[in-house]
Formats: sequence, C-alpha cells, structure tokens
Amino acid sequence: MWSITRAGDRALLVTVGTVIDPALLGEVLALDRALQDRRSVGLLGTVPAYASVLCHYDAGVTDAARLEETIRALEGKLEFAIPSGAVVDIPTRYDGPDLPEVALETNLTPAGVVERHAGREYLVYSVGFAPGFTYCGALPDEIAVPRLASPRRRVPAGSIGIAGRQTGIYAVESPGGWNLIGRTALRLFDPTANPPARFKPGDRLRFVPIP
Amino acid sequence: MIEVVAAGRWTTIQDRGRPGLERYGIPTGGAADWFAAAAANRIVGNQQDAALLEATAIGPMLQFTTDAVVAVTGGQVGEHLGWKPIKVLRGSELVVGTIGPGLRTYVAVRGGIDVPLVLGSRSLCQRGRFGGGFGRPLAAGDRLRIGQMVEQEPATARWPASHRLPQRGPWEVRAIAGPQTDAFAADALERLGATACRVTPEIDRMGLRLETPGLRLQPQEILTVPMTAGAIQVTPSGGLIVLHVDHQTTGGYPAIATVIYADLPLLAQARPGDTVRFRAGDPAEAARAVRRLTDWLRPES
Repeated sequence: MWSITRAGDRALLVTVGTVIDPALLGEVLALDRALQDRRSVGLLGTVPAYASVLCHYDAGVTDAARLEETIRALEGKLEFAIPSGAVVDIPTRYDGPDLPEVALETNLTPAGVVERHAGREYLVYSVGFAPGFTYCGALPDEIAVPRLASPRRRVPAGSIGIAGRQTGIYAVESPGGWNLIGRTALRLFDPTANPPARFKPGDRLRFVPIP
Repeated sequence: MIEVVAAGRWTTIQDRGRPGLERYGIPTGGAADWFAAAAANRIVGNQQDAALLEATAIGPMLQFTTDAVVAVTGGQVGEHLGWKPIKVLRGSELVVGTIGPGLRTYVAVRGGIDVPLVLGSRSLCQRGRFGGGFGRPLAAGDRLRIGQMVEQEPATARWPASHRLPQRGPWEVRAIAGPQTDAFAADALERLGATACRVTPEIDRMGLRLETPGLRLQPQEILTVPMTAGAIQVTPSGGLIVLHVDHQTTGGYPAIATVIYADLPLLAQARPGDTVRFRAGDPAEAARAVRRLTDWLRPES
C-alpha cells in the first residue's frame, strides 16, 4: 500500500516502498508519468526519486484530500516494468582520493575495487541533492562502505563516489560525504541545455575505466 | 545603471525562483523571505516577477547613474529607510548598512534588476553557479541594469507596520506533521513542540541547523526521498536541519514535520542564537496564514 503523507501545506509525498529496488523505481516512474499525463487540477509538478514521488500542488486550487484521492485512484492500476534503456558509457579515471582507503576497508586491492565498480550496469534512481547529481545503484555488496565520517567541503564536478549500496556522480562542485574513487570529464549539468541534467531516473549507465 | 560600490556580506539577485526543476536537482530558490520581497516590489510598483537584491547581515552600498525609486524591506536597516518608496537621485548613493533585527533585507528598484533569465528565473542558483546575473553573489564593481517590469505606480505611503511580519525572535513557527513523522517515536513531535530550539551559526539559504537542548530525537533511517523547503530534518546526532529555499532537492534524513509556507519568511530572518519554537499547525490554518499575507500584498485599487 502506498503511503501518502503531507510535506507541508503545498505538497504530498507518495512513498511506494522503502528499499532500493528496480521494480519500485519502475512503479515510481509510471506514477510520475501518469500524474503528468493527467494534468490534475492544481497539481503543479512532481519529483521522482528511488521509491517515492513528491507532488507539489497549488493550495489555492486544490487540497491534499482531493489530490490524495486522485493519486489513490492510480494505485494498483499502473503498468510498469523495470527500466531498460540504452546503457551510456561513463569514461572514468579511477584516481579518487579515497580509493586506497576503500580498498583497505574492503580487503581488496584498488584494482579489485575498480573491477567491481566498473564491472556492471547501473540504474539511475534519482537526480537530486545538487544540480545534476546522479544517484545510481546498486553497488555490489563487496564494495559497500559507509559515508565519510565528516563530509568534504568541496567535491569537484565530475567526481564519482560510493556510499552504502549507491554510487553517484557529482555534476557540480558541492560539499559531499561520499568516498571518491574516480572522476569523469563528462559534463552532467548545463543550465543552458534542455534538459539541464544529462541523466534522469530510469536511465542506465556503466563506468568504463580509462588510463 | 546601478553600480555596486560595496557588496555587503552576501548580496544576491533573487526573484520568485524557478519551481518545477527539482527533478534535475535544481532547487526552487528565490527570495528567502518571500513576503518582504513581494512587499518591496509592491512598494515600487513592480510586477511580482521582478528581480531585486537580497542582502544578508550587512547590506550593499549602491551608486545610481540614473534617477530611481527604490524600496527597502525585511530585516531592519534604520527606520528612516524601510518599507516606503525612496527617490534616489542620479549620482547619489544608497547605503543599506548593517541589518538587524532580522537577517535579510530586500532592495527593490522600480523596473526590477535586469539580468538574463536562466531556466525561467533571474535568481542566483548558488550551487549550480548560474542565474542572478553573474552566477555568484554580487561583488564591488558589478553594474546592474534597471529593467522595465513595472505594473503600477509606486505606493504613496509607508507600508503599514500592522501588515509586516515580526523581525525579531523568539520565533514561533508553525509546522505540519510529515512526511516522515512515522520514522519517529509517537511522542516525538510533541516533545519537539515543547523544546526551545536554538539557531546555530550554520545557517544559509539552503537550510538552518538548530540545536534542541534537552531533546534527543532518534529517527529510523530512511531511503533518500525528495524534500521540500520547510522540512525539519533530524540528523543521526539528533540535531535539526530545517531546509530553506535553496535546499537540496533530495535528502536521506527523515523530516519529522514541515514548516508552513507562510512561516518560511520568519526562518529567513532568524539569526544565530535566536530561539525557534515549532507549533503544530494544520492545513486550514496554513491556508489562512497564506491568505492573510497575500491580502496584505494586494495591489491598491
């Protein structure tokens, strides 16, 4: 059962699950699309991420109860699949400052960490946190390490980090608490482009080591 | 033209922000104290979309190369200056000075600040380093063009004190339970309501860190979710981060409650050391509170 909760007086959060799961992302994207297609009165916009969808509404036009009814009407009626688009290659230089530490923590060599990180396809679960930041999963268990105890003040754009079962790409310079293992020269955020972010939830990508 | 002689502590160009782009990781942004900004535009007769200056703690010194009408609202900068149309003559300077009580002061110029729209707004997106004319806060030597986003004549009288929000703490801020209240013990929200929270020095447009003396909330972990301005996040150490207009669009700390839109301006004016109390609000009260503020902003007819 979807959980629908208030996010203040102008938004509702629909939570379809509590774990990182490709099928839940598929459901989230189907709900996101259905809400956009329906153009429900007073619905201003939606934000999908992992297993939830945020719905902003105009409180002068509709209210939470009416919007919740619209959303509930979709529950169990959406057709969805595990997202399966073309896989985009991310040329990656694995020279991140935390790679040696991650290798120590995981009892692997740095090359072993790289092999496991680069050796699979990832699904984009969310673009959020900062402009263009691309959250991907799921990381193999063997290289799942906790966030840094204290976040860095500045992580350069293009940095590739890991935290828990997630890996992510910093699209703009920002603070950050993920373990940095590599970087890419690919530009993931451009405010003059349409859309401004290179990836969206449901996209698939692969990290390709370059010297 | 307006020339920035001194920029002040942190002065940015803002408007009503760029809603609808959070799916790209872009916060809505816009004036942190939306009410004071709207009032400033109203006083000079601007369209509500016109861009203005948001000054923080210490305001800018501006030199005008043309006659202009300006309004200064929000955090206090000397009672002779605030909340009324001011004629600034060509060649003269406007010195905003030190701000307080309150933290953020708005300077609207009749016609608006004319900088390019980026993704639908003139607001600075600090994290993305775009918008706001320069992709950064203002610096000495910047030159600002005055636009033509005029809607009506400037106000003829000072904005009534009865139609302003308080500029000084302690702050009572209304919040609605959710979205992650279930990640907390049943009495957590009540205990938060009974706590005098203290504003730390770590405050900016992205959010405010608050301490909760005598209260240690222990939330369950949650999966990363989309977040809204006003979300009262609880960190693993038990401290609070109340998200504001430039907030990160997704977050992994659960939000026990969310500050109502009408009270976000209060948080924009809170200063380190101030006390914040969260009071349980409900949606009907939140709607009334917004209506009250928008009624105050209604154009003179």
